[in-house]
This record gives sequence, C-alpha cells and structure tokens, in this order.
Amino acid sequence: MVVFTFLDWFWLIAFIVLMVGCGVRFYRLGKRSESDFFLAGRGLPWWLPASSVYATHTATDTPMWVAGKVYKLGFTGLWYTFYAAWCAISAFVSTKIFRRSLAYTQAEWQSLRFGGMSGELLRGWVAGWQVFLNMFILGWVGIAMGKVCGFVFGWPLWIGLIVFSSVCAIYVLAAGYWGVVMADFQQGIIALIVIVIVSFWGIHAAGGAGEIISRLEAMGEAGKLNPFNFTGFFAGDFPVAWFITMLIIGILGGLGMGTAIDWFPEAQRIQSAKTVKDASWSIWAGSLLVIIRNSLWAAAILGFFVLYPDIQLTKDYEMAWFRLGFENLPPGMIGFFFAAIVAIHISTISTHLNLGAVYITRDLYHHYINPRAGQEKLVWVGRVGTLILLLGSFVFGSIMENITEWLIFALWIMAAGVWLPGILQVVWWRFNGWGYLTAWVFNLVFSWLVVWVLPAFGVLPHLKDYQQFWILMILGALVFIPVTLASKPENMDHLVKFYVMSRPIGWWGPVKEEARKRGLI
Amino acid sequence: MGMFKKKWSPRDADRWTWEDTITVVISPVIYVLILVGCALAALLKPVGFILVIIAIALTVIMIGIINPKLTAISEDYEKKQKDYMEELERKVKWED
Repeated sequence: MVVFTFLDWFWLIAFIVLMVGCGVRFYRLGKRSESDFFLAGRGLPWWLPASSVYATHTATDTPMWVAGKVYKLGFTGLWYTFYAAWCAISAFVSTKIFRRSLAYTQAEWQSLRFGGMSGELLRGWVAGWQVFLNMFILGWVGIAMGKVCGFVFGWPLWIGLIVFSSVCAIYVLAAGYWGVVMADFQQGIIALIVIVIVSFWGIHAAGGAGEIISRLEAMGEAGKLNPFNFTGFFAGDFPVAWFITMLIIGILGGLGMGTAIDWFPEAQRIQSAKTVKDASWSIWAGSLLVIIRNSLWAAAILGFFVLYPDIQLTKDYEMAWFRLGFENLPPGMIGFFFAAIVAIHISTISTHLNLGAVYITRDLYHHYINPRAGQEKLVWVGRVGTLILLLGSFVFGSIMENITEWLIFALWIMAAGVWLPGILQVVWWRFNGWGYLTAWVFNLVFSWLVVWVLPAFGVLPHLKDYQQFWILMILGALVFIPVTLASKPENMDHLVKFYVMSRPIGWWGPVKEEARKRGLI
Repeated sequence: MGMFKKKWSPRDADRWTWEDTITVVISPVIYVLILVGCALAALLKPVGFILVIIAIALTVIMIGIINPKLTAISEDYEKKQKDYMEELERKVKWED
C-alpha cells in the first residue's frame, strides 16, 4: 500500500475537478444536436482528435499489457504493441474514404456501402456488436483500475471499478463527445508528461541507461535489447512467422475498415475532424504518439527487469511501470502520478461510453426505432445509452476474472475471419453485403472449430495464434468469395452514389465508368 | 520548380498517384523507426538517436509529398459536404 500525504491528495482532487470541469464546461455545445453530442459538430482541428486517439488508447491496462510482454521478451515485446501501425496506411487510405462517407459509425457505413436487406442486416449486426464490445471494454479497463486501486490503497476491486467510471460519466452525460474530446486533450497532456517523468525516473532508479545495459549483459540477457531477437522461423516465443503475420495484419489492415478493434473509436475521431485532411493527420499523429509512448514504457520496463529479474507470475510483473512510479517517486509526486493514472483511465472510459452510445442512438434508435426523432430527443437517448453502458460495464467488470479467456477469444475471432472482408469492402466493387455477412457468420463457426472444438477432439493440434489467423482467413475466403460471386452485385445506383461521395481505391472500374457516363465525376 | 508538386486540381488529386504510393510505403517505415529508435534512444544507444533523426527527416519529406494533395482533396470535398450531409440524414430517416 502507498501512503498519501496532503500534497498527494491535493493533486488527485485538483486533477479530478479539472478534468470533470473541463468536460462539463462544454455542456451547452454538446446538447445542441446529435452531431454535437457524438461528433463535436464535425468541426475539430486535427490535433484535438489526435490527442483523443492517443489518450483513448492509453488506458490503465495498457502499461500492464506492455510490461507483461517486455518483461518477458525484452524489446521484441514491443512488436505486440505494433498493431497500431494500421494507422500508418489507414491515415492516407481508409481514413480519407471513411471521412468522405460522413457515416457517424462503422455500422452506418455498412448501409452506405451495401444496399438493401444485406446492408441493413450488417448495420444492425455491427451496431449490436459494438454496443456489447464497448460495454466489455469498459468493464475490462474498469477492473484494471480496480487492480491499481487495490495495489495503491488496498481497496476491494469494485471500488476502483465503480468510482472513477462514475466520475467520468458526469461529463460524458453532460457534454457528450465535446466533453470527451476536450477532457482527452488535457488528459493526454497530463498522461504524456507523467509517462515521460516516471519512465525516465524508473531508468534512473535502475542505475541509469548504461547500468541497465551492462547488467543485462552480465545476466546473459543482452538479447532483450534487440528488437529483432527472433527465436527461429517458426519456433520459440518470437518466431519470424509471427512477426510477418503481425506486420501484414497491422500494416495492410490500414487499407480496410474494421480490420483492427481500434478502428471503431478511430472512426468517430475521423468523423469529428473538420476536413478530410484534418482526419488523416489526426489518425497518423495520434498513433505516432501511441508508438512513442510504448517505446518509453519498454525502456523503463527493462530497468524494472534489472531491478527485479526473478518475478515469475505475469500478474506481478505486469505491474512493473506502476511499481516504478509508486516505489521511486518522492512524496508529493505520488499523488501527481496517481492523478495521471486517473486521467489515463477516464480518457478511455469516456470514449467508450460515448462510442457505445452513438451506436445505440444513431444506428438502433434513430434509424430503426424513431427515424423522425428531433435533436433534443436524440441527445437524451444518447444520455440514456451512456448510462446503460456504464451500468453494463459494472456487471462485466465484476465477472471479468471468469470470462476473460472467452472474451479474448471473442475479440480474436472478430478480427481473424473478417480481416480480409474488411479490406475487400473498401477495395473491390463486386464484394457485396451477402459476402460480408457470410464472412461474419462463418467466422464464428470456423473459429470455434479451429480454436476449441477440433483440437479438443484431437483432429487438429493446438495451433499458435498466427497459424489460427491464416487458417481462419483462408477458410472464410473459401466461403465468402463464392457467396459473393454467386449473389447479385450491389445495385449500380447505390454503388455510384457511394463511389462519387467516398472515392474508394482499388478495383472499382465498372462503377467509376458508370459514374463518368452519368457526368458525376 | 520545387521538389514536390504543390498545386493539385481536384480531379488529379482524386487519382492514385506515385505520391500516394510513396506515402503508404514511408509512413509504416517511420512508425517502425520511431518504435525502435525511441526505445533504444531512451537507453542512450546512439543507433536509437540515428533512427529517430531518420524518422523525422522522412516525416518532413512525407508531409511535403502528400499534404498538398490532401489539401486539394479536402477543399474540393468541403464544397460538396453540405449536400452529402442532407442525403445522409434522408437515409437515416428512410426517405432516400
């Protein structure tokens, strides 16, 4: 447990008042319309969504995740965090296309890209899935905060889960996305400052950079300094085959939409940018900050490894970065550090509260239940949606210990079999809604078979995650490509309208030709 | 004439050109260099600083290449955005 001085409490309370106040201050802007409550009126300069991208993806569980990988694998562990690289290409490809579609959400995009029944089915499915997923992420991140509070104050897990998410909900309920993005900007700055201070403080506490390197060499662990310390092409903890798969998933995924779980919050930030150019640079710069942050953490974790090389349990060494801060910062700074952890935490919570609510409001309520709803009513539905997500997250958080394995599986299967369709929907005109729906459905079937059922009966060996990815991708393609080709193409009027507005890249020849004939481009 | 094309017509900007290809190649390379470079630089490894400097130089080049094109796409699109927005609202209300 950590003992707080008066100054520590001062930092914590001052930061919470500042963060909540900063969010609530935008109440008048947030309540104006659906567009304001969920997209800040589509008027933000690039650096605001960029800071929100960075702040959102800096959660309480992120330093635990990075520490878990880097403590065990050294700098090679950094590549597990490199999935953010999808933004490197997306910023200049799918971000542009998505921003031009003007879709509030990825679910709405489905009905713009695909017409008729299949487009509507996809919209409903993606909206429902996103409501569930955001609730799950809120529970996951919330329980990570519970663990940090348990470590710092000895509190039971539920206190950390409920208290800080509820504090955050005050400004999300009041000001919607305006509150989220303005608080994110300020939280992002606080988080970045503290990550730099604590990481370098940790390196200093381990004896400095030179001492860390020489002690790693003396321990026979110099390989931890090499980011390309492969263990073989297929063998070991860091095979080349995994690395290549990760690069392909991460980087080429940027050509599509929904190829990474982070696409969905990014989609909201893309639409909140005031121009296409602002959207592109916001995604690129925000993800660059994420990558820099990971590198600083990794260097500090190696310092922690030098100090405590014999920790065996993952749950213990996952706390490395937090321990560097709490065990080494002077009194008075501990509260500053904890306040920054709160900032890190609620920046993620606020995003997912508002993001889940946009799917409830825009895609489920506005589109399917009450298409004639006025702006005031839509904002109130957004608030009710926010509250539902908050309460649901408490339920998820409280049972997280028991269901994590299953839910990680759920996240994984949603990425593997729909990765390629996520790209095809952007780059291939002939890919249709039935093909995409088939990909989702069969991915569920195949992933259960490949990951759980067939290995349990000895039909398949237990495969590594990158092997599962390739198998699921190929099996899915064997079904959704024939289904696509056997069913009718999307209606040409619908495709032309979509093409003229969004200008997708790739194989759109017939649609482009038709648009040209009609004098639309 | 400068190193990079600064003026783009909306029609040309909408085409996939070598500027786009170069950008989608350079951009992931910058991320890789920053990831590895910052980690090594934080431990004061000289190679880390070199990688970060290369990444900064590539970023400047990439901005020079793609930003004028992005600006042209944005400016052209903003003129049409209002109409598209109205169309989107009609669709959510099942009028379209």
